[in-house]
Amino acid sequence: MKIFRSLIIIILVLSLFVGLAACGENESEETYAPTDAPAETTVALEETDPTAESGLQGEIHVYSRDASSGTRGAFEELADFEEQLTDNAILTESNGDMAAKVGADLLAIGYVSLTTDFAANNIKAVNYEGVEPTEENVLNESYTLARPFNYVTRAAGDFGDADKEALVAAFIAFLTESVEGANAISSAGGIVDVSSKRAWADLQADHPVVSQDNSGIEIVTVGSTSVEKAIRAALETFQPMAGNFNFKMSHAGSGEGPAGTVGEEKDTAKKGDIGFASRAFKDTEEVILGMSTGTFCLDAVVICAESSNPIANLNQSQTAAIFKGEIQNWEDLD
Amino acid sequence: MITDKRQKNKLASCHRRKLWQDKVIKRIFQGSAILAALMILFIYFFVISRGIQPFLPSYDGDQQNVLSFLTGNRWRPDMNPPIYGVGFIVINTILTSLGAAIISFPISVLTALYIAKVAPPKLRAVLTTIVELLAAIPSIVYGVYAAGTITGLVDDFAGLFGISTYGGNSALAVILLLAIMIFPTITSLAVVSIRAVDRNLELGSIALGASRMETNFKVVLTSAKSGIFAGLALGLGRAFGEATAVSMVAGNRMIGPTLNPFDITRTLTTTILTGMHETSPGLDYDMRFSVGIVLLLVILVTNLSIQYVKRKVGGITNE
Repeated sequence: MKIFRSLIIIILVLSLFVGLAACGENESEETYAPTDAPAETTVALEETDPTAESGLQGEIHVYSRDASSGTRGAFEELADFEEQLTDNAILTESNGDMAAKVGADLLAIGYVSLTTDFAANNIKAVNYEGVEPTEENVLNESYTLARPFNYVTRAAGDFGDADKEALVAAFIAFLTESVEGANAISSAGGIVDVSSKRAWADLQADHPVVSQDNSGIEIVTVGSTSVEKAIRAALETFQPMAGNFNFKMSHAGSGEGPAGTVGEEKDTAKKGDIGFASRAFKDTEEVILGMSTGTFCLDAVVICAESSNPIANLNQSQTAAIFKGEIQNWEDLD
Repeated sequence: MITDKRQKNKLASCHRRKLWQDKVIKRIFQGSAILAALMILFIYFFVISRGIQPFLPSYDGDQQNVLSFLTGNRWRPDMNPPIYGVGFIVINTILTSLGAAIISFPISVLTALYIAKVAPPKLRAVLTTIVELLAAIPSIVYGVYAAGTITGLVDDFAGLFGISTYGGNSALAVILLLAIMIFPTITSLAVVSIRAVDRNLELGSIALGASRMETNFKVVLTSAKSGIFAGLALGLGRAFGEATAVSMVAGNRMIGPTLNPFDITRTLTTTILTGMHETSPGLDYDMRFSVGIVLLLVILVTNLSIQYVKRKVGGITNE
């Protein structure tokens, strides 16, 4: 009797697990590759939109990220509607969450990074100012929903240590010229043309400092928080190749980059050896004083919509108007 | 004579040793109890001392106004100056949690009654196991289930009324998710308290001519109300405190309160959680602790009101 009872329990528990596992499979399919979602949404499309030519009809669902997101900061700055996002926007948790949610809502508009898997999330990229968002177009600067990641170092002779100065020069070479550096940056989401780079082994000869023990040297980076991920990846890759130097990253904003290296904060507690900005340097920021300055990669944001949404292109004023809540319906978009 | 004395001595020393052991063990128990109590104090102290900082004149940054924080209907940390209004979030939190309790409470109590009193023994064991398994599912799993399945159902349901939702992310999705999540908590506590009802009360009721069902509803349930309401309090606590799963379907609306069940919402926990990993120390970080204080207060007030309701529900007391 007892055996019989426990047998029933075991069978039921097992079937429960199988049931749960099946549920799990279903929803992962729906979230990441919604095979039946387009079928449902076409029905909705027919209901709201009798004439296919006039495009989509209905309320625009604006998807955004939470206020601390770097992608949101870049997007609002580039499309020029900072602090003006509509109160009706839905906030998503991450780039992946945004892609999955926009892919499940026909009336949605959102934005993701260029490295997102568009097809898997059932979303499409929308052209900006008539230009398709591709890595090539970002690099040739025709796609304008992009921004440069710039660097500037302290002035030559201002590092307080010749080895440190040589090491910073070596890191800049690694960051801007080597294949290894470019790979590290692109793995962190930065856009960089890897094909034009050379192997670090070829560059290394110009920087003898990397072959000595540098564990007593600490490189301090300051500036934009947006570049942090890419720079951390590059520094971590470079560290074992360059005598295990130490580094400290104290990023607080683009303005701090030039200020802490060549500007008024260069001898204060906010000083750094390399400063970064996720925008072009201003004329008032005297980056020409630095030992070296330039752009090490680009960052791009892509406007996205559900894949069956007929929208193909948006310009800056349309984008800003949608995200500010001034254009509220798809039919109002000319 | 001598052996007798020795034996007495031996007994006495044995007794003394036992007394001493008792004392040590008592101290160990006392110590763990004090440690547990201190932990509560530490957590409260930490959250409160951090959370009130932005409202003090000594705050290093933009000092916030308590009144506009508590009554505000917008949450816009991206603005300059940032707007932190928690009033609408409190209403949203209470509405979604109460909605979940309204759906889950009757189902849970009836399930518990069935498990404890009506079901045949074999089925009872199976059902108890199932309820316990439901309680053991981690909240993140409930979250992916909700994001993948409940949102789809809500979207289809809204479509029947011609309403377009944000892909099903809505207050209703949050309510359904929480209802499922708090069901095992309420049920298992209710089962325990129904089982603990004095058998003589039931027998007396039946002897007086009441039917089994009359006895179950009028005698058993009212006698077990203390435990059932404790289950409700724990269930509501889970509903108020659930962050991970809720944030996957809530949509984090920046303005409110949300009264339309198909519209997106924002709860206190999702406000604390969202963007936590990307924010840097400063006002935005400290305000999360302020929201934490509000959440603690909401839970306290709810538990007190449940105690009040419990006293009002009539019948035999079995406390």
